[in-house]
Amino acid sequence: MEMIKKILIVDDSPIARKMLKSCLPKDRGFEFHEAGNGKEGFDKYVELRPDVTFMDLTMPVMTGYEAIDEIIGHDKSALIIVVTADIQMKSIKKVLDSGAYMVLKKPLKREEISSALVKAEDTLQKAN
Amino acid sequence: MTMQKEQILTSEEIEILQELMNIAFGQSAADLAEVIDTQVVLSVPFIKLMQVADLPEYFKNHVKDYKNINLVEQKFWGRFKGDALLVFSSGAGKELITLLKHDEEVSLESDPVDILERETLMEVGNILIGACVGKIAELLQDVVTYTPPMVAVEKGYQEAISGGRYDPECTAIVLKTDFCFEEGDVTGFLFLVTSNDSGTWLREALKLFIEQYE
Repeated sequence: MEMIKKILIVDDSPIARKMLKSCLPKDRGFEFHEAGNGKEGFDKYVELRPDVTFMDLTMPVMTGYEAIDEIIGHDKSALIIVVTADIQMKSIKKVLDSGAYMVLKKPLKREEISSALVKAEDTLQKAN
Repeated sequence: MTMQKEQILTSEEIEILQELMNIAFGQSAADLAEVIDTQVVLSVPFIKLMQVADLPEYFKNHVKDYKNINLVEQKFWGRFKGDALLVFSSGAGKELITLLKHDEEVSLESDPVDILERETLMEVGNILIGACVGKIAELLQDVVTYTPPMVAVEKGYQEAISGGRYDPECTAIVLKTDFCFEEGDVTGFLFLVTSNDSGTWLREALKLFIEQYE
């Protein structure tokens, strides 16, 4: 059963959002929503309750670190996949400790996104 | 001037370059984090096209709050070619000595501090510049070589960065990112300056890069 329908992409770079969308399967009929910073991302999360949120870390207005804290504070079951160029061990540990589901490294590869979605879907299925 | 800028890179090409700089500096920070005891706090990179004649003023505006600067400079060339300027705040050299993880005890007492400071800046500069420029080149299917790093320790801005280093007739593409360390009082900027000589190749390479994601 396909559990993921609604996807929120939070990244300040329109090109990065385009790159991410292009890596997602085209035949799944996903409903995409986008946000250009962490604050907008949090607001859209509250409004839309996406199944999965892809989150960049380095952003203006509100960083991804802060947005993850806000979203998890609001909804402990939020499924946030961090997509970042910041691949320092301390950064990865920090976001996982904050409740992010997993971390993917930029630039994205289609296979990585696909297996992340399979894993996320499995988690959602078990939770329901 | 505006027309000339538009001819070099479109707004979409600038966005792609900005994302590449983001990815590349992320790699640099990760490489540096392997040898220092703190996290490098990254910021959103910035791309600016400008006349070369305006570069000295642009640099000066960024470092004007620093009492002195520490500069590591390396030229790089492949099809992507230019100049990397890594600017650290005053006192950064000594801070970096304490942050660097050394296999042996740091010989602060036996080695003259100015030599240690210079070597540390050179090592850190080599990591940050090499990883960043190398990653951009890799993403654009290029290979670059570098000059050995040149280091200026605790110099005034005018002394460290001379105005006449670039051809004033050229347009510069400046890729800038600023950073700080979570611990220790270290802040800085990395500027990559490439000229419109690389423009034609760069546009084509950016197009090829983004085509993977069409």
